[in-house]
Amino acid sequence: MRVEYINPFVEAAYNIMTEVLQADVERKDLYLKKTTQPVMGVAALVGLAGDVEGRVLIDMSQDTAIKIASTMNGEKLTGLDELAKASITELANMITAQAVTKLFDLGFKFDLTPPSIITGENMSVSNANVEALIVPLEMPQGLVEINVAIRERA
Amino acid sequence: MKTKSDFPSINERTPDGQNIGGSAFKVLVVDDSMFVTKQIGQILTSEGFEVVGTAGDGLEGVEKYKELYPNVDLVTMDITMPRMDGVSALEKIIEFDKDAKVVMISALGKQDLVKKALLIGAKNYIVKPLDRKKVLERVISVLK
Repeated sequence: MRVEYINPFVEAAYNIMTEVLQADVERKDLYLKKTTQPVMGVAALVGLAGDVEGRVLIDMSQDTAIKIASTMNGEKLTGLDELAKASITELANMITAQAVTKLFDLGFKFDLTPPSIITGENMSVSNANVEALIVPLEMPQGLVEINVAIRERA
Repeated sequence: MKTKSDFPSINERTPDGQNIGGSAFKVLVVDDSMFVTKQIGQILTSEGFEVVGTAGDGLEGVEKYKELYPNVDLVTMDITMPRMDGVSALEKIIEFDKDAKVVMISALGKQDLVKKALLIGAKNYIVKPLDRKKVLERVISVLK
């Protein structure tokens, strides 16, 4: 997978989280996974189809998701309720919208699915024939991984 | 003899969400995100606006507008929504009330749809992420 696909998502995630959470966000080193990867507990999943195809996961623990949603709402949320899920969905919407604008400017054309929120313990994600690039972002609310698996359509 | 309380204080200002008569501007919020609906509601009510209705998609938004009319001063309208998108809903609202004041709420990258909405009759637009200053500036520019 080409690194140029993941950079717009990482930049967008960095920009949006810094702005929305008003927090210092630290980008950790990118790593590549070829096999099945565990999912941390709450993941916003966005599918892509067009010149390129694949998916983007914005992955975090439930505790981090609740803390992020609490910051976004300006109040302490106690669980991953509908408002917390709607907040994480909106965060994913803003990140993908900004990233896709950049990719469109680079000449890629594709459609996106609306974000789906997946929650649960001991989950993993597998991608046939495409490795995933992962960039961890560390912030006061916890760790969020931007996990992108995209390939050019044959 | 006149006392101090008989004179209005020059330091008192009318909140931006109220008209000169002191009554609140009435807003309908159309958005499929519970988070965004709450966020817009909080920003507007904190400045004296009254949220008189919410709708989770364009179709419901058009129905609510007709139901509330003429007791609605402004609509905030998301663009991407299920059942009926915000641009189609805007079109229906303008057909019903050519003077409707609609502000589009857009994610980045929807410039073509925003342009289309402005041509149809939207009065302004706000690009997410939303913040208090941005929302109030745009909304107030439409109402005053």
